[in-house]
Amino acid sequence: MTRPWRRLIRHRLAQAGFLLLFLYLLGALFAPFLAPYSPYSQDLRSTYIPPLAGLSLRGPGGEWGLWVSPAFRHPLEGVQVRWEEKYPVRFLVRGEAWSWLGVRGELHLFGVEGPARLYLLGTDEQGRDLFSRILYGIPISLSIGLVAVGIGLLLGTPLGALPAYLGGRWDLLAQRLVDILLAFPGILLAIVLVAILGPGLLNGMIAVGIAAVPIYARLVRGVVLSLKSLDYVEAARALGASHARILLRHILPNALTPLLIQTSLQMAIAILFAAGLGFLGLGARPPEPEWGLMLARGREYLAVAPHVATFPGLAIVGLVLAFNLLGDALRDALDPRSR
Amino acid sequence: MAVLTGIPLGVLAALRPGSGLDLSVMVLALLGVSMPVFWFGLLAILIFSVGLGWFPVAGKGTLAHLILPAITLGINATALLARMTRGTLLEVLSQDYIRTARAKGLAERVVIFKHALRNALIPVVTVVGLEFGTLLSGAVITETIFAWPGLGQLLVGSILARDYPVVQGAVLLVAITFVLINLLVDLLYATIDPRVRYD
Repeated sequence: MTRPWRRLIRHRLAQAGFLLLFLYLLGALFAPFLAPYSPYSQDLRSTYIPPLAGLSLRGPGGEWGLWVSPAFRHPLEGVQVRWEEKYPVRFLVRGEAWSWLGVRGELHLFGVEGPARLYLLGTDEQGRDLFSRILYGIPISLSIGLVAVGIGLLLGTPLGALPAYLGGRWDLLAQRLVDILLAFPGILLAIVLVAILGPGLLNGMIAVGIAAVPIYARLVRGVVLSLKSLDYVEAARALGASHARILLRHILPNALTPLLIQTSLQMAIAILFAAGLGFLGLGARPPEPEWGLMLARGREYLAVAPHVATFPGLAIVGLVLAFNLLGDALRDALDPRSR
Repeated sequence: MAVLTGIPLGVLAALRPGSGLDLSVMVLALLGVSMPVFWFGLLAILIFSVGLGWFPVAGKGTLAHLILPAITLGINATALLARMTRGTLLEVLSQDYIRTARAKGLAERVVIFKHALRNALIPVVTVVGLEFGTLLSGAVITETIFAWPGLGQLLVGSILARDYPVVQGAVLLVAITFVLINLLVDLLYATIDPRVRYD
């Protein structure tokens, strides 16, 4: 392992970022097992139940343990708990059947034995378990980030590299194109693209991805411009290397480090943008457990059930923070200027 | 607001690198850039409007209606500016001319404000310009949270209603404003940095 990488692994910010990201990845991979219920199963008798409602440490006979009493919403009197009934919380229980990444099962990390439900983070406006929905939301947000950043990389890199290498009219043309894209600040470009493509999760991903294109294009253009007239490139050309070979083997590898740093930061931005689109009703559609969308629903009953808006937001902050930490750490470790 | 709090925070953090103040400012700033605007807005409503009752929940009217949306909108920019100012100021403070300025016996205040900060602010001004754009587009979300009848709400409403002429108009207005602000920033360079000339 080279020195920068070792520096990265020892970096405290990087460790925090890796740990956070690892936890989210675990959550995404084992979502149906960790989540006690399906993210779609609703129960209209138990809407807006606060977190941990009905949980007690003493059983019906006074014995210690985790016990849950049924909680439900009375139309006039609000949340009610039937304390006289108590059901034990069990680990590794059989519950709702799930199918995930081609694997079927019905085993859950925890669950309640009996007709009560344990809502770790409460329920939303349709009585769906918020904890389960947030877990199932991880792969959605991660895949939005990956697809969007992938689009940005795949379109932005050639858009920056080729015209800069060729120069002349091509460069001018590409630059004006990038200028046009950059004239729409921040999330506005994504919003405009959604307006053209129509709302939806996939269109949201594409829109956020295209919004990242000019940023990558500008980054790669800078690297190519600074290197293309250097002696070693001239030497490669004198040796008879083709343009493609010079660009791909001699110039672009130098852009890998800034691209890597940018990609980590861009993941953070893409996840924020996608959540913003979901919040505005322009991204994922209900009943998809997308965090921005969940937050938007929580907004309507903020005073009655603040947990519905709070926890999806925390989930976003954590994931975005992980990528920001990694990006900062990557820059510290790999960028020779910031020593 | 972002400029008034972000830059001083960055300066304070840069003056004592590694101190508790530096660390807490940087942690807060990192959280600030990682937070979705709409979530912060909702929390602000929850705490200051629903909980404490200091400000109205939403809508347009008095100056009090403006405070929470303004803070919400500015929070990301504040965090970003604090990070940026700290970074560039630290870089500038390690330059030779700063040592020269100290060596000739200038007061620390003069060194920091006249010699270091002025040079450190050049990249910061660029970011302020860019952040203006982010603020313009962030207003779209902030207006939705606080039910502020502005350009942003009009834009989202017309996208959902597929009223394309209104969408085009609103987007064009924001884009033109953004481009003009960037032009202003370019002109501002020449005032801050005498080396920059536009002939």
